[in-house]
Amino acid sequence: MAMSTPIGIRAAFLEALKTKSGLAAASMLGFLLLLAVLVPIIAPYDVVNSWNNPTVWADNPKLVPPEWSERFVGKHLPRTIIIPPDGEPGGFKRARVSYTSEGQIYTIVVLQQTFDFQYDAFPSEIKLYFATSFGNKSPLVHAYLERPDGQQILLFDDTPSLRVPDVNKFVPSDVITYSLSFPTFKDPSYEVFANIKSWLISKNVTNDTEWQSLYPSPTGFYSNPPRAQVLLLADLNHSMLDPTTAQVLKGTYTIRFVVNGFSSIDDANARAVIYGTVFGLVGTDDQRHDLTVALLWGAPVALAFGLVGALASVLIQTLLGAISGWYGGVIDEFVQRTADFYLIIPTLPILILIGILYRPSLYGILFVLVVFGIVGATTKVTRSIVLQVKEEQFIEAARSYGASRGRILFRYILPRVMPYTFALIALTVPAFIFLEASLSFLGLGDPNLPTWGRLLGNAYSAGPAIFYTFWWWVFFPAAGIIFTTVAFALMGYAFDKVLNPRLREQ
Amino acid sequence: MGVVRHLAKRAIFLVITFIIAIYATVIIANGGGKVDQILKAQIYTDLKQQFARNPAYQRLPPSVQAQKFNESYNATIEAQGLNEPFFQKSFRYTFNALRLNLGRATQLHASDGSMIVSDIINERLARSLVLFTVANVIAAIVGIWLGLWMARKALSPFDRGMTVLSVTTFVVPPWVYGIVFILVFGYEWKLLPAGGLTSLPPPAPAPLYQAFSPLIAIGLAAAGYVVIARLRTQYRLIGYALVLAGVAGILVWAFVLPFDYFKDMEWHMILPAAAVAFSVFGSWSYTTRNLVLQVMDEDFVFAARAKGLKERDVLSRYVLRAASPPIVTSLALTLAAAWTGAIITETVFNYPGLGLLFFEAISVFDAPVVIGLTTIYALLLVITVFLLDVTYSLLDPRIRALRR
Repeated sequence: MAMSTPIGIRAAFLEALKTKSGLAAASMLGFLLLLAVLVPIIAPYDVVNSWNNPTVWADNPKLVPPEWSERFVGKHLPRTIIIPPDGEPGGFKRARVSYTSEGQIYTIVVLQQTFDFQYDAFPSEIKLYFATSFGNKSPLVHAYLERPDGQQILLFDDTPSLRVPDVNKFVPSDVITYSLSFPTFKDPSYEVFANIKSWLISKNVTNDTEWQSLYPSPTGFYSNPPRAQVLLLADLNHSMLDPTTAQVLKGTYTIRFVVNGFSSIDDANARAVIYGTVFGLVGTDDQRHDLTVALLWGAPVALAFGLVGALASVLIQTLLGAISGWYGGVIDEFVQRTADFYLIIPTLPILILIGILYRPSLYGILFVLVVFGIVGATTKVTRSIVLQVKEEQFIEAARSYGASRGRILFRYILPRVMPYTFALIALTVPAFIFLEASLSFLGLGDPNLPTWGRLLGNAYSAGPAIFYTFWWWVFFPAAGIIFTTVAFALMGYAFDKVLNPRLREQ
Repeated sequence: MGVVRHLAKRAIFLVITFIIAIYATVIIANGGGKVDQILKAQIYTDLKQQFARNPAYQRLPPSVQAQKFNESYNATIEAQGLNEPFFQKSFRYTFNALRLNLGRATQLHASDGSMIVSDIINERLARSLVLFTVANVIAAIVGIWLGLWMARKALSPFDRGMTVLSVTTFVVPPWVYGIVFILVFGYEWKLLPAGGLTSLPPPAPAPLYQAFSPLIAIGLAAAGYVVIARLRTQYRLIGYALVLAGVAGILVWAFVLPFDYFKDMEWHMILPAAAVAFSVFGSWSYTTRNLVLQVMDEDFVFAARAKGLKERDVLSRYVLRAASPPIVTSLALTLAAAWTGAIITETVFNYPGLGLLFFEAISVFDAPVVIGLTTIYALLLVITVFLLDVTYSLLDPRIRALRR
């Protein structure tokens, strides 16, 4: 790097802003900084903190694209509809009657609520949540769906054995989940397919043999027949049996639970989630995480990590380089040999080893990275600059009036080197961002924080084929990393242009 | 004599560095003895389960049970060399690694079932070396060529555009491009295989020379280009013929030759190589451009121009030669670094080379493989650095003077 006319940090910065690339970099970085400041307001830290807690994300659809992607399809795609339990606004309406007949107390609870479905596609899943309290004997629960065309379908019946102390408190751990889309064999909601079958046969839509060919196994686990939510929400005709031709029956649906209890204390409460096929700004992943949160939080994490790491390591390297060049002799030899040593040890493999053995947090990773970067390319560059500056007259002048060596180093030499250091910091930030991303990609990042690298790693470990269908899961984190690093690279380039007179545009 | 003394000093220093680096790796690869404890705990639980399933053992009285268990536990620990204190063992490991006696893997094995570390590494070494050398050399050639062109058209829109492209592409590591390329070329357009070494099942094996056919074709074309660019007019016809032959050769390889084992492998290597080349060429073009611009201002270049030499000759004979030492340095160091830094790129492409082996070895705490790999890496780097020293001392008298 050739020395030009001396230039201060401020002047260098202002000059750099005058170039096109500097301006572009500054606006990109400004945008990122603004984002970093706003993110804690948009998505509070608790949300990120609960990244590993699946119950927080349970109401999001699984692996769906962003909402705006419906424009590519040209259809109005379903959003997630949540019907909250009784007691919350818009929740299930509960009616409860107790009566005595022949010395036996009976209680009937009816929970029902309507939802309006005006979308052009079927929901991705339907889940019903149910909580009961009862005496000695489990109540009998029937769940129905009433369609806009007047059809009423029995979804399942069950005698729940899980007892809740207070049904008005809808505690997730006490609630029975009936998944209509992915029932398991032991699950009462498994009946839903049998019930749909008898309903369709009674309406002459299908017959036993056709059903058998569609569903070789009772729930169609081994083939690709229409899922329950398609059959339940489709126009009642033969086309509904093929997911590609089924038409959505738009209108108002009613979900109804009828509970027949056998004591005076029997009570029940319910909740329903009709999962959409699009979600939020960025979509969701296989754990139902809202990727918007991770994408937004990725910005401050990457910025902070990259900046702190680059600042620390480049400043240490600059100082060591300057000391090495200025004092010379044994110190110089020692620093240079350490730099050679650092060149030979394979850093990334060692980092991965540390990651596997100790699972460090984000700060731990940062610390290790800085330790492995105390000498390096910057040391050599600074040393060569210092060797040139050393011979200049103002150093001689300083010496002649008796300035100490330390004073000359800190007051005269380092200020001359600083602009170069800033260019190098800008160019080192991407390296730190990518090191963190690399470790996170391998699953060795901070286990509690969703970072861009971790999203990519999750998407990758879910299977390579996932890349094609679930583009939003890969595209946005990759775009985030590339955007941030390119901003810093452009900044470094703008600095370089200012400081390197030969590269400066005339 | 100064050169020899200098080189001897460097060699001694590098050997010492190498030893320290290997020792550090031994310590770190074993987590400072932590891995031994993990392995011991694994053996303990494995044995416990094994004994619990054994009905004959269950019938024994408790005191005999404990004694039997301890006996076989200690025997296993001893057989695996875990009874030795780690400090003592670390020296033995280092000494063995230095003699390239890499020992046996604890978990991993080569495709033929061998658990000898050198067999495992040998199997994979060639794959990584070929992939990353080819990718880096292509990137270097393209980058240097671009850089020269940019320097010649300095400050033109082409130069500015390419500079920004170079600066922004080389900060992004190959695996990020890998992901994007897999997404676009592998899945969206389905042009190229998205990963792996060969298709499954692999096609029929072919004679080895077929592996080199595309390289020979590319070489012919490149030679033709050099002839056209450098030699006088009467030889240009030969140059055009060579380029044509090369292009024809590539087309024949791509469309006529049967889809054999090597072609399949080369087909699978295109995407990872492209990702690596795309992330590397920018640093080449940018540094070449800047170096050439710096050298262009020197007096001897003016002198050469004043002699009336053609611009192309000035550039290739004077400028490039003066700018070459730093270029050679970075080429050598990038190559050495590429062999070590390919862990994630190979993981992304599921390419079974050294990088993926390293990741597999680390994930199962296979310390001998980790140490073996690091030794090979460090050795490659040490040799590269030393060769660089030699080239510097021989090539550039200025450096020789500076060094002493």
